[in-house]
Amino acid sequence: MTNAIEVKNLRYRYPDGSEALRGVSFSVGAGERVALIGPNGAGKSTLLLHLNGLLPERAMENSAVQIAGDAVTPANFSKVRKNVGFLFQDPEDQLFCPTVFEDVAFGPRQFGLHGAELAAKVGAALAQVGLTGYENRPPHHLSRGEKRRVCLAGVLVCSPAVLALDEPTTDLDPRGRRELKALLRELPAAQIIATHDLELVVEHCSRAILFDRGAIIADGPPATLLADEPLMLAHGLERPHILSHHHPHSKT
Amino acid sequence: MNPEFIDRYSRLDSPVHKLPVGSKIVAALVLVLGVALWPAVPWQLFGAVGALLLALMLLSQIPPRFLLRRLLIAEPFALSIAALALFQPGGWHIFLVMLTKSTLCLAAMILLTATTPFTDLLAALRRARIPVVFVTTLALLYRYLFVLADESSRMRRARLSRSFAEHRAHQWRALATVAGQLFIRASGRAERIFAAMSARGWEQK
Repeated sequence: MTNAIEVKNLRYRYPDGSEALRGVSFSVGAGERVALIGPNGAGKSTLLLHLNGLLPERAMENSAVQIAGDAVTPANFSKVRKNVGFLFQDPEDQLFCPTVFEDVAFGPRQFGLHGAELAAKVGAALAQVGLTGYENRPPHHLSRGEKRRVCLAGVLVCSPAVLALDEPTTDLDPRGRRELKALLRELPAAQIIATHDLELVVEHCSRAILFDRGAIIADGPPATLLADEPLMLAHGLERPHILSHHHPHSKT
Repeated sequence: MNPEFIDRYSRLDSPVHKLPVGSKIVAALVLVLGVALWPAVPWQLFGAVGALLLALMLLSQIPPRFLLRRLLIAEPFALSIAALALFQPGGWHIFLVMLTKSTLCLAAMILLTATTPFTDLLAALRRARIPVVFVTTLALLYRYLFVLADESSRMRRARLSRSFAEHRAHQWRALATVAGQLFIRASGRAERIFAAMSARGWEQK
């Protein structure tokens, strides 16, 4: 089976010339949940933006990134962007339509859906994130957690094979975080999550990639990788408390 | 800014609110074009249009002060254009005509937008096959007005919490900084929004 994400020797320079990604290679299998951890400015978001061709600024004919077997090139953009659901860091950036319905319908509309079929899809996506009946609400009246869930509905409505999530939990209150985690757990798509929420990494992900200065430092199961305190501290992170205590109910 | 500012009274249940959106837009448009393009200067016609608008305003149950305030916000623009006419012979007459015409047009548009929810207006424009780019731009404008207003009030609060002696000159300088910052932030946000739109299949056509 082809990998959900295949990255081979990906390099990128910011417009100012500084090196952001220095030859990154990794792959993510179908349905795998991978955390991308590392200090601020390590290049995590930059890496994610390459997954559906939002970077580099000038798209290239051959790409170092493949999504479900398709190279991320301009010819494949619409297919790849349908396949990769992207959850941006700030929901205000992602919710750009006047109503919740319009926003969730944005993706499917681009791909040619309309009328009753579209309404059914949108309804199903909203039900999936627990926001049935929110169709006519304007986004600016929603809570942060609700905004986040509308964003997710707008992405899920295209049934992506890969979810790219940029800091999905950091600005949510504990309830919002719990609800989002429960939602993500149910999704069959492969997930790559850039985050500082190390508890999320331990509880939710099967694999963690430690990233710093545009390169992969380590790659392994969260419970062993995040327990390595010197390594964590050397890269601006810490050993999460959740690993220090014995949890009778935890799976690890 | 009060986030309800735009749609504050647009969901009332008056006869004016209940009119179909499409016909309201067409009526307002016909009125504006008629008033603007009428060749002669029939004061009776202006009077009739003014009376009609006034009647509709009263019928709409929207507090007159709300509508008047909006008119006053827009009036300086009309006034400054009309003032240019004062520099030619017979200027006073042209000035008055221009001012009357633009005030009537403004009042019609204000009445239309105040009695129709903004999202309904957008839907009607879309149904009327107005170019997608134009409707999308309007929709984005509506959506981000609130975000921008929030951002500026947060910046204002942050500034106030660190200003101890408020001199007038100081205030103006701070205001200029805030305006510049807002512009930079807004253009940064525009780029991120464009990325989010592309991520969900938007293509430049």
